This record gives sequence, C-alpha cells and structure tokens, in this order.
Amino acid sequence: MDNSLLVSLSQQLAAFRAMDVIANNLANVSTPGFKREASKFEEYIAHVRPAEDQKGPQTVSFVKDAGVLRDSIQGNIERTGATYDLALTSKGYFQIQTPAGMRYTRDGHFSLDANGNLVNSDGYAVQGDGGGITIAPIDGDINIAPDGTVSSVVNGVGNQLGKVKVVDFANDSALTKLGANLYSTSQQPTEPASVNMHQGALESSNVQPVIEISHMIEVMRAYEATATLSKSQEDLMRQAITQLGTQPN
Amino acid sequence: MRALSIAATGMQAQQTNVEVIANNLANMNTTAFKQQRAEFTDLLYQNIQTPGSQTSDQGTYAPNGIQLGAGVRTAAVYRVTTQGDLQSTSNPYDVAIQGPGFFRIQQADGTDAYTRSGNFSLSPQGQLVTQDGLVVQPGVAIPQNTLSVSINAQGQVNATIAGNTTPQTVGQLELTRFPNEAGLNAVGNNLYLETPASGSPQAGVPGSAGYGKLQQGFLETSNVNSVDQITALISAQRAYEMNSKVISAADQMLQQTSQMGQ
Repeated sequence: MDNSLLVSLSQQLAAFRAMDVIANNLANVSTPGFKREASKFEEYIAHVRPAEDQKGPQTVSFVKDAGVLRDSIQGNIERTGATYDLALTSKGYFQIQTPAGMRYTRDGHFSLDANGNLVNSDGYAVQGDGGGITIAPIDGDINIAPDGTVSSVVNGVGNQLGKVKVVDFANDSALTKLGANLYSTSQQPTEPASVNMHQGALESSNVQPVIEISHMIEVMRAYEATATLSKSQEDLMRQAITQLGTQPN
Repeated sequence: MRALSIAATGMQAQQTNVEVIANNLANMNTTAFKQQRAEFTDLLYQNIQTPGSQTSDQGTYAPNGIQLGAGVRTAAVYRVTTQGDLQSTSNPYDVAIQGPGFFRIQQADGTDAYTRSGNFSLSPQGQLVTQDGLVVQPGVAIPQNTLSVSINAQGQVNATIAGNTTPQTVGQLELTRFPNEAGLNAVGNNLYLETPASGSPQAGVPGSAGYGKLQQGFLETSNVNSVDQITALISAQRAYEMNSKVISAADQMLQQTSQMGQ
C-alpha cells in the first residue's frame, strides 16, 4: 500500500526536475549558442512482496532520471552588425583558451582586448590555427571569411591575420556544460568536415517557446494527476483506518 | 523547487534587455550614438551525473549526463560600433568622422575624453569646443575676422581671413583609435573614457591607414535601427511573459503539493 505513495513521489520529483529543465530553457531563450535540453526518465523496477492472494513476484516501477539530452540543432542566425560577432552555421565549436584549460563554445560574440587580442566576453583568448589572433587598430576594416580566415586590406594590400579555429567532437552530447556558454571535455577535438560562419551575426538560442510551454503544461498536468492519485490513496488509507479501527460494539 | 528561481533569472535578463532597447530608442536622434546590445550566458550547472560517467566496470559510459542549469545572467552590454549615416547640417563647425576614430576632448578637470560627436562651436576666445564648452584637442583657434573656415578630409583647418586671399592653416584635427573600442567607458554627454579594457589611445592623422576621414558640414547620426529595436522589444517582452508563465506553473505545482495532506 505504501508503494503507491512512493511511486507517486518518484513521479513528482521527476516532474519537479523536468520543470527545472524547462525553466532553464526558457530563461536562456535569448542566450546566443544555447542548445535546448530535454530531461529523459527511465523505469526503475523494484521487486515487492506479493500480496496474499497473488502468486509469483510482484514488481512496481518507479521513475528515475536517465539523463538530460541536448538538442544540438542549429539555432537561428540573428544579425548584430558587430565586426567580431561570428555565427557558426556548420557543426563544431569555437575554441577558447581559459586559465583552467581549453574550453569550447558556439557563442560567437567576440571582441578585442586592450592588446588587440580576439577574446570572448569573459576576456579569454579565442584560438586560431596558430594560437591567439591579434588585430592592430591600423589593420582597418576586418573581414572574416566563412572558413574563419581573418583578413584586412591596408593601403590596397590584403593581409591575412589568422584563422578562427573550429573543432568538432565524436560525441557532442558528452560535453560538460560549465555555464558562461562554455563546454569542456576530455575528448580529443577533431577537424570538422566543413566550416561555415557569418561575420556580424550570432547564432541565437535554439529554444522554441511553443514546445517549452506545451511541455510545461504537460508536466504541470502530470504533476496534478499524481497529486490527485496520492490524495485518493490517502483517502483510502484514512477510510481503512476509520472503518477497521472502529471498535465493534 | 529550482524552476521558480531559474524563471526569475530569465525575467531579470529580459528586463535588462528591455532597458538596453529603451536606451537605444531614446538615443535614436543622438549624434554619433552607438546602439548597444545585451548579451546573455547560461549560469552554472549542477552535475547530478557527469557526462561520460562509467555505468559498469566493462567500460560502458553514459552517453549523456544529467546537468541541471541554474538560469541565465547578463554577460555583457556591448556597443555595436558600426558607422552611422552622415547628415548634412551646413554648419562649418560640424565635423563627421567617416570610418574609425574619436576626437580627443579635454575635460574640465584636465583629463582626456573621447567622442565621435563632431558638433563643435567656437568659444569666446575662438577655440573649437564641444557643445559643453570643452576644448577639442589639439586646440584649434580660429582668428578673429575670419570669413570662412574649411576643414578637409585629412583634418587640416584652413581659415580665410578678411583682407587675405589665400587661406591660412590654423590647426590640424587628430583622431584617436583604441585597440578595443568596445572597451571604452561611456560617461554620458557623448563622451567616452579610456579604460584598461580599451587599451591605450593611438593618435593619427585623419585619412591615414586605419583612421577615418573627416567630413565638414555633416554630423554622424546614431546607428540605431528602429525596426530592429522594435522587433527586439517584442521578443524581449514575450520572453519575459513566458518566464512569468513558468513561475505561475511552478507555483501551481507547489500549491498542489501543499494541498496533498489535507
């Protein structure tokens, strides 16, 4: 009898967690390079003592977290007009050197630091083919080609300043999220088959509000249903206690 | 329940977004104003199960982990430094910069500030000053009984003085560039200050490599695109609304919880 309450409880905890994931998706609806996540649950089968009139082993299924899946589908491209904003439209990640090691991101909002190095919004160096990329004020108008080549034209002479590096991984979903739009991994980066980026734009978050809101309603109703179930279970218990506990006269 | 606080961070972020948009729209007609953009990043993640954790001693791994996010934060509000349009004013002391660079202005306390707003006037002493009376550096003094002033693309200021047929060079305007223009500190009145993030100023002659040209009789308008801003405003408002829906959904779930034992 207690099991039904515990099974309900496991579902309610799962609903809370699903709600947290949806809330995080909706909170990041304007975060560039953000990839929506979906919580996935699995059955956890527990064996229980069979009831008096039943034969064979009895099982109940609890809900258990299986994982949070990342949907790595391409986000929309939003134009910003800023020279160093890069929207990646191919698979892969930009490489960022942080004091804690190499990090990866799809958020291409970059700018220059006081020494003219190309950095991300936390001031960490964006990696090019040969380390960081440095741009001097004298370089004038900067052009970043779809393959990541950074160049400028000074006095009519083309000048290549570096190439923004894009790397890919065998298993995208095993990248660890660190916040600040960064990922880390112990996997070895691989060379992507093709690289395509747009200057002056950012890849917006791929969260689709319609889907999130409908999931939210679904989770809310499932929670409600379980709460009602628990309540009827509780009523049953109460009735049992009142009826059985009454002293026969 | 985390959903409540996560949605609250989302609402805060969208509020910042709306504030930035409001400021852009308010400055639509401010000379040489550069529109700003709020940039967001996700907050820390709590690892319930780290991606790539082992699921058996046979070397099998969970293909994905369980990482719960904590919401969103504003990473930066950055300035988009694209060129604004040039608007003709026919005022001889209006100078627009076409291309990169800033005018250097001496503030009242003697320190330098930088501006792209070239709507200058003359002080009682004939000095070229901003609308707040701050002297443009290096100083340009226009002699008395000057008939006309011309400023060429390279910043040379020539004055035709009464009784003199050939114009005289009375000054040279300079432009200043920074390694990172987005790192300048905006202090209002169209002025920017140098910061450790901007790097040190590098002065140069207008029209030389890497520096913009000057255009007399024109002003640079703001680069705010009203259509962009209004669409951004609409999406920010909707995002705010959706985050508030999450709060009310989470609230309903909590309400159900509290009614369970009744």
